[in-house]
Amino acid sequence: MLKIENLHVAVEGKEILKGVNLELEAGQVHAIMGPNGSGKSTLSNVLAGKPGYEVTAGSVTFEGKDLLALSPEERAWEGVFLAFQYPVEIPGVNNIYMLRAGLNAARRHRGLPELDAMDFMGIVREKMQLVEMDESLLARSVNEGFSGGEKKRNEIFQMAVLEPKLAILDETDSGLDIDALRVVAGGVNKLRSPERAMLLITHYQRLLDYIEPDAVHVLADGRIIKSGDKSLALELEERGYDWLLAEAR
Amino acid sequence: MSRAGAERAGSDGIERLRRQAWRAFESRGLPTTRDEDWKYTDLSRLVATLGESWWTPAPETEADASAWEPLAVPGLEDARFVFVNGRLAAAPAGLPDGVRVTRLAEALQDQDEAADALGWDGNAPLASAFAPLNAALARDGLCLEVASGTRLEAPLYLLHVSAGGGAAHTRHLVRVGLGARAHVVEHFASLNGAAPGLSHPLTRAWLAEGAELIHERLLMEDKGCFHIGRLEVEQQAGSRLQSASLALPKGLARVDIVSRLLGEGAGAALDGLYLADGRAHVDHHTHVAHERPNCASRERYKGMVAGRGHAVFNGKVVVHPGADGTDASQYNANLLLSRHAEVDAKPELEIYADEVQCSHGATVGQLDEAQLFYLQSRGLAENAARNVLTFAFAEDVLSGLESDAVRRHLERAVLERLPGGAALEGVI
Ligand SMILES: Nc1ncnc2c1ncn2[C@@H]1O[C@H](COP(=O)(O)OP(=O)(O)OP(=O)(O)O)[C@@H](O)[C@H]1O
Ligand SMILES: [Mg+2]
Repeated sequence: MLKIENLHVAVEGKEILKGVNLELEAGQVHAIMGPNGSGKSTLSNVLAGKPGYEVTAGSVTFEGKDLLALSPEERAWEGVFLAFQYPVEIPGVNNIYMLRAGLNAARRHRGLPELDAMDFMGIVREKMQLVEMDESLLARSVNEGFSGGEKKRNEIFQMAVLEPKLAILDETDSGLDIDALRVVAGGVNKLRSPERAMLLITHYQRLLDYIEPDAVHVLADGRIIKSGDKSLALELEERGYDWLLAEAR
Repeated sequence: MSRAGAERAGSDGIERLRRQAWRAFESRGLPTTRDEDWKYTDLSRLVATLGESWWTPAPETEADASAWEPLAVPGLEDARFVFVNGRLAAAPAGLPDGVRVTRLAEALQDQDEAADALGWDGNAPLASAFAPLNAALARDGLCLEVASGTRLEAPLYLLHVSAGGGAAHTRHLVRVGLGARAHVVEHFASLNGAAPGLSHPLTRAWLAEGAELIHERLLMEDKGCFHIGRLEVEQQAGSRLQSASLALPKGLARVDIVSRLLGEGAGAALDGLYLADGRAHVDHHTHVAHERPNCASRERYKGMVAGRGHAVFNGKVVVHPGADGTDASQYNANLLLSRHAEVDAKPELEIYADEVQCSHGATVGQLDEAQLFYLQSRGLAENAARNVLTFAFAEDVLSGLESDAVRRHLERAVLERLPGGAALEGVI
């Protein structure tokens, strides 16, 4: 479904990603771990199409298409979703209006009829339960005044409504309390499907107790220096990154 | 204006006042960009378009309802007055209890009224180059009187249609009695294919103790129409003014709003929303005079400037000696939507009292890139995302409007003007 080959990315002239290779099949969940500043969010942002990144080499193919040639909204319509590490607040823009506008734009793109307000609210109610989101948050402006945990929950709620093919979750677990982590992870698990691939970026093995990954990759200094199964996460939890970094040198 | 004018008013008193006003206008002449108040608004375009006698009243125009009906705000028909080129063309069949409406000419029959009605503020800080011109030339307008204790919910709707071909000097007088409440909507629009012209309305309002006036100005004239508008309000103790200036002209518009807080505990809330795109020029000058203690004023002006549009905001607050306990705040935010758009924002605070709370802030910025990307990543096309954020910027002013009918009309008009905005209807 997703094929990243030799991806090099620079920000303001500084090379951040230095040749990333990654392949993800439909139905799979891969975790990416790695030290702070290693380029995990950069990779997420480049996949979602955030401006300001310069791809200096390499390619990203999504379902046979050149993903990097698409605008951010086209990527969303094609089924790419990014749950942000730091979701922005957008005062004055209602959560529900944004989602409905986004979903209907995607449906138009896919040749499906738009959803009217009634049908849409039906979906919203259903997905809200998935992440046990408080209904009062829906009526508010996007993320405005949300607590850190509420923002993360809102990201997964949006993912549930938009039903992407590829979901990139950038540190969705950071900032969630223990109960919230269980609820949100449970929601993510329910969204696992043979048609959907997920990229989980996390610092904590705990998340992977709830969401079992098919593979774990370590991104360090702009490269994937190690890949393995879920036991790699346990090893990292115990030994940290130093031994790996030494090995890579 | 002093009562002295009324004392001089004999049988030919009105004509005398008119001549005085004309002389006051002539001696000062058309302001130039060398006048501090007109620094950023160049009226030479007015003369170039309408000629040396740009002030010449437009000829009486027969425009039937089918021509102006499409311009009107739907839902406000019950108390709708229509002016075409400054002449009353239609009036409602009836009016709510406690409201008396006379035409300016009739109001001028009352010699006591004449001075107030034709007065212009000679006080230097409130002086205006155009107010005397309006006093000299205004022939039509309404005198709206809301009796003490009468509380009007539905707005009185004054639709001013410009057919062009000259100047329309209109003059309205609004008297809100003790504890009464009035809501006035002044709407300005151009007939389809109107010739160039000048729209020159002036409204004076007097709020008695505890009175409340909601004044909403909707300014939507076409490219060829110059708009010079003014609202002057005198407020007694405990009275409240809520003004909204909603300006999206395609040509040049200048709006002056003056609130004089003349009694303790009076309050004024001045909102503004403007859109200057194409080659439009929108200039707001507000002046709030805190003349007595313990009055409050709040200003919130927001502007969207696109294309080669030019917006000017000048907010003046004067706290007079002895006006202790004044609470004044002013906020002006501008959204630059293109590289060639231009904004000149200037707060002016003059404080001659102690124990006052005054704050002001002005910003000029662009749409937030992170917010834009967030919306796009959720599937909103770039244009739609830009428009959603532009609306979000205006949201607090829009939702603060008293009249839903006005708000809807305004939103639709703004959407039509934003690139790709039509697609957003129903979403916002
Ligand atoms: N706009 C930018 N300008 C300059 N440097 C940047 C910019 N964006 C990212 N970087 C740098 O790129 C590197 C990678 O950042 P990135 O956010 O991708 O790291 P990360 O792996 O997600 O870290 P964390 O675990 O802390 O979230 C960092 O050194 C960061 O400072
Ligand atoms: Mg990160």
